Amino acid sequence: MWRGAFVRTCCPVTTAMPSEHRLHPASILFALGGNLKAFALPAVVLLLTSLRSSPAPAAGPGRGPAGWMNRWMPGDIEIANWQFWLLLFLVPAIIVAITRYFSFRLRYEGTELVIRSGIFFRNERHVPYVRIQNLDAVRNVAHRLLGVTEVRVETGGGQAPEATISVLHETVFEEMRRRIFEGRAALSEAGVAEPVESARDLPALESRTLLHLPLRELLLQGVLDNRGMILIGAAYGLLWEAGLFRGMWDRVANGWYGPGLIRDTIGRIAAGGPLPSGQIGVLLVGIVGLLALVRIVSMIWSVLRLYEFRLARVGEDLRTEYGLLTRVTATIPLRRLQTLTIRETPLQRLVKRMSVHVETAGGLGAHEAGPKKPRESLAPIVRRSAVPTLVGELLPGFDIEGLDWHPLHSRAFSRALKPAFLIGIAMTLPFFGMFGWRAILVLPFSLTWMTVVAWKQVERTQWTVTDDAVVFRSGWLWRNVTIAPVVKIQTVECTESPFDRRAVMAGVRVDTAGASERSHKVAIPYLPRETARALHERLSAQAAQTMFRW
Amino acid sequence: MNELAAGPTEGEPKTIADGIERQLDPRWIPVQRILAAIPTVIVAGVSFVFVMSLWTASGLLLLGLLLLPVWATLMAALAWQLQRWPAISYRFSSYRVDQAGIEIRHGVYWRTITNLPRSRVQHTDVSQGPLERRYGLGTLVVYTAGTAHSKVTVSGLDFDVARRIRAHLLPGDHSDAV
Repeated sequence: MWRGAFVRTCCPVTTAMPSEHRLHPASILFALGGNLKAFALPAVVLLLTSLRSSPAPAAGPGRGPAGWMNRWMPGDIEIANWQFWLLLFLVPAIIVAITRYFSFRLRYEGTELVIRSGIFFRNERHVPYVRIQNLDAVRNVAHRLLGVTEVRVETGGGQAPEATISVLHETVFEEMRRRIFEGRAALSEAGVAEPVESARDLPALESRTLLHLPLRELLLQGVLDNRGMILIGAAYGLLWEAGLFRGMWDRVANGWYGPGLIRDTIGRIAAGGPLPSGQIGVLLVGIVGLLALVRIVSMIWSVLRLYEFRLARVGEDLRTEYGLLTRVTATIPLRRLQTLTIRETPLQRLVKRMSVHVETAGGLGAHEAGPKKPRESLAPIVRRSAVPTLVGELLPGFDIEGLDWHPLHSRAFSRALKPAFLIGIAMTLPFFGMFGWRAILVLPFSLTWMTVVAWKQVERTQWTVTDDAVVFRSGWLWRNVTIAPVVKIQTVECTESPFDRRAVMAGVRVDTAGASERSHKVAIPYLPRETARALHERLSAQAAQTMFRW
Repeated sequence: MNELAAGPTEGEPKTIADGIERQLDPRWIPVQRILAAIPTVIVAGVSFVFVMSLWTASGLLLLGLLLLPVWATLMAALAWQLQRWPAISYRFSSYRVDQAGIEIRHGVYWRTITNLPRSRVQHTDVSQGPLERRYGLGTLVVYTAGTAHSKVTVSGLDFDVARRIRAHLLPGDHSDAV
């Protein structure tokens, strides 16, 4: 049966058109690997629990396939038959992987990419080149050893990549990239669809490096980034769950460390009496050690992830390449940039660095968990002095330094103070739980702090509008500047809450494609109503005059 | 029938895209009232069962005498509020269509003016539920490529008006979509 399917679908290979491509044979392996990865975590948990709970296996040397497997396993691990049969769940995945390999065809037509797959349920997907938002290639160590690459094609509007092609030979991907982007360039220039005969005949486009991160910058990025915290947190949680820390901490900390140490220490300090110097010492050493560890892990992570980061302009596209083990190549057409955000954290400000992020309309689903990675920022770390040049490259003709910023309403601070006070009060609530009414002493501090925050934030929140873009900046410690080109504005909104109305204020919000939940958006609060209305009118008129080009 | 005469369908100008601010169709108010009656009945029913079971479980006669009037007052207030709300909401809802696009105002306390340029329309829907069909109304849904407002809805339009706005908003030439 299977054999028959093999023979039948094998045949088109000989009759395939010259421009037709198939998956690399290794794609079966990668598909299986992906499935095994999904199995790995439950399997480890299963093994750990069986290790801890039942030191003496009940059944002795099992019969059936599990008995055969147990001979290969270390002595104290016993696999029951049912555990072995779980592997059968892999069989459908194997069949799917094999069918996919044999049925998959990739073809370039004049203006579109055609992907054909399926044996029983044939599916032919046409993706016009002009609709492709970005094209990413991901190569991890295994991919690189085999000289293959995983390709993601993203078009606008979709939640998931339009097509994830795993895996293609590297040369096939190179050709695909050239065909898609250069075929499109020829299209937009000529205005008509003329098929590109052979991508190899086209001259290579000039490539200009906009940003290259040397090792020193990567290490700095690791120090500035707190990604290590997440990694350590996850690892700690996992190990704690497995119960491996119980004995270790006892030995290391001589009983000083235990659950509730922090609460205990604070409680003793608050209660007066002799200071628990030992506990404070352990706590401080622990905190300092943890911070150092976090930074070191961050630095290693940063080097692994961003090794040889290079942002280049190739023709009309931006291309980023980075990664030591997993090498990622992302191509974004320059005119697909929806919004551009420049961020600055307090630590970054200390060393005069910033980061630049862009939103594209494609791949909104990339933020979901799983093997899909969140889009790395366009420039994770860049010198502050180099930002204007970079922004000028990304948005031609835009000068970020020559903007005249407008402040908010003169009474915006008194408006912002009220929610800030509410947050300040909410911040003190946990202290009431801990210390009772004595916590009222914390209140002046939190309220003062929130007043400062509100004052600084209102002072730092500014906006401006030019002929081509609306720019909004906000934040005091963590600063964001977002530039939304008028061409990319989808809707303009003027909002007025009851509080706004009492103060004769209003806000303006701009909606663009590709903005995620967490991204900094153009949403200007606390404007004088007249200003807000005028800005709203101006932006919607400007947007209406332009054509949206994805 | 008096309502019909007051609607914007009467004395229709040549084009819908005249830049004049218009109210929704007044028939929208009875539709909203009927729609509001459904949750009112559900809330009243559920809370009535709750109050009665509380009363029987406690076994106190006095409690029921106290609770039932409270329940009745609350429900009456809810029903009254939900019945008068559509008329209030109607006063603060309007739309304006011109060559540039569509402008929608809505919200009683939190007021919003949304401008959607014609060149940003991806596609549109005109839908009609059973109740709307009886009253000759339609809902216009305009989709954009945006995220927060990828879908802009105007309900309470005369069905024909909704279709005419749709025809106006849809891009005539297809070159701009890319």
